[in-house]
Amino acid sequence: MTSVTIRRPTAPPPERSVAPAYTLDGSLGGLRIGLRTDGAWRSWVLIAGEWEKRLRDEGADVTCVETNAQVGDGGRTDRRNIDEWSEQIDAGLVGLGTCGSCTSFTVHDAVTLESHAKPSVAVVTEEFETHARNMATFLGHGDLKVLVLPYPLEARPDDELRKIAAEYYPQAMELLGVKR
Amino acid sequence: MSATLTAEQVEVPADPGELYERSLEERWGDGAPIVPPTDDRVLALLDATPYAPDHVLGALPPQYGVATVELVAINAAMAGCEAAALPFVLAALEAMLVPEWNAFGLTTTTSSVFAMLLVNGPRRDDLGIDYRAGCMGGAAGRGSMTIGRAVSLCLRNVGGQRAGETSRTVFGQPARFGMCFGEWEERSPWPSLAARRGFDTSDDVVTVHGGKGTFPLADIHNDDPRDLLYLIAKSIAFPLSNMFLSGTPENGEVVVAMNPMWAERFGSAFPDVEDAQSYLWEHAWQPLELWPAGNQDILRGKGRVDGDGKVRLVASPAQIVPFVCGGLGSLHAVALPSFGESQLQSAVVQRNQPTR
Repeated sequence: MTSVTIRRPTAPPPERSVAPAYTLDGSLGGLRIGLRTDGAWRSWVLIAGEWEKRLRDEGADVTCVETNAQVGDGGRTDRRNIDEWSEQIDAGLVGLGTCGSCTSFTVHDAVTLESHAKPSVAVVTEEFETHARNMATFLGHGDLKVLVLPYPLEARPDDELRKIAAEYYPQAMELLGVKR
Repeated sequence: MSATLTAEQVEVPADPGELYERSLEERWGDGAPIVPPTDDRVLALLDATPYAPDHVLGALPPQYGVATVELVAINAAMAGCEAAALPFVLAALEAMLVPEWNAFGLTTTTSSVFAMLLVNGPRRDDLGIDYRAGCMGGAAGRGSMTIGRAVSLCLRNVGGQRAGETSRTVFGQPARFGMCFGEWEERSPWPSLAARRGFDTSDDVVTVHGGKGTFPLADIHNDDPRDLLYLIAKSIAFPLSNMFLSGTPENGEVVVAMNPMWAERFGSAFPDVEDAQSYLWEHAWQPLELWPAGNQDILRGKGRVDGDGKVRLVASPAQIVPFVCGGLGSLHAVALPSFGESQLQSAVVQRNQPTR
């Protein structure tokens, strides 16, 4: 068989260092816990609202931040807010990854929080779990903690979303490293 | 041809059919046959750019593979690019790496969106970059077919974008094989897109649009150009447009490809393109009542409803972008709807002067 020599067209896989992940390893009392929502997903706004109440009941001080844009003035403001929010809190839950780009930006913002040496959990739905873990790896944070909620969340009645919020709250706290 | 190549060498079958099979096994390609990127072909391409082979354009998401000029040239060779086309591929990638184009989001989204390359400048004919009949598909110009494909291959092979894996695109679209076409500047009543964006008319310029698809528009009933432009404005403001999903209507552009016959009529009514854009913007809205009650609440909550109950497609006239191209058969226009969270980016084509 005659052959020809060509050049490989694929980029070598980038060397990936895995940034450290953090946990609270303590109770919630007196801690500042952050909740990052995304204006696109009403289901997550409702779930995050339920978790906010529970966190406050457990003695945490909750700081919420909502993102709405990926580029432009809005995107720059959102990313600046995430950076400032990361400074202000002790740990945070970042959601919601339930589409392609919103999962990428959820992971991006969770990584920003982790880069501030704070416990960080990316909240995604089941369909986007693999994508979230891939993006965390690509961003050098392969050990980022990921909480997986059922999919789809949209189009579920509010009562059902409240049940999901209650059911998954303990896992969210466990991933943050809350000790009771 | 003194450049030194550093990419790994691979022995492959010389037979075209066997090479095709091998490329499928290795996942180097896009499902279509490839041209073997031999050293001769790659070096000839590199000869057309002022950049050294190890010059780094940037890291392409989603996997952040490093796009060196050599690696881009290898993929351009695979796509069938002629040497003079490589600088257009490099310009496209340079534009896509500007953060405001949002390659991070666009390469991973569930949307169909992909890079659509809009070309201005004097080299369109030399390279076979289609801008007349069938320019968005079917005209078969070598430049259009290979430049777009080379960019697509770079996203796959360098950036690691693969549908169903790193890319979550639900449908994809034909442009994901590559989409590149030019403006019929000579038949436009207005300055070219590149000139409007501040570039010199002697420059070759690639503008990259994050386009969701080709949305066809047709008319045979309107004699008044204002009426026709009004209907175009209403048509591009369709209720399930991405632009109505977000609370940030200031992001993203809708490109409106206008055939030269219609463009001439629009130019007679609006000699200044900005007036045409303002007229389009003025009518690119829908009444809030068009949407069901639940959607109305959401649109209100996102601040998308003005005092008159109008929901505007975009925040400013500049976000509706006329681009003159296509055949002289009239009757048709094509909108290229935006992903929304992406802004047009342009780059000048940097090429070596011919040395032989």
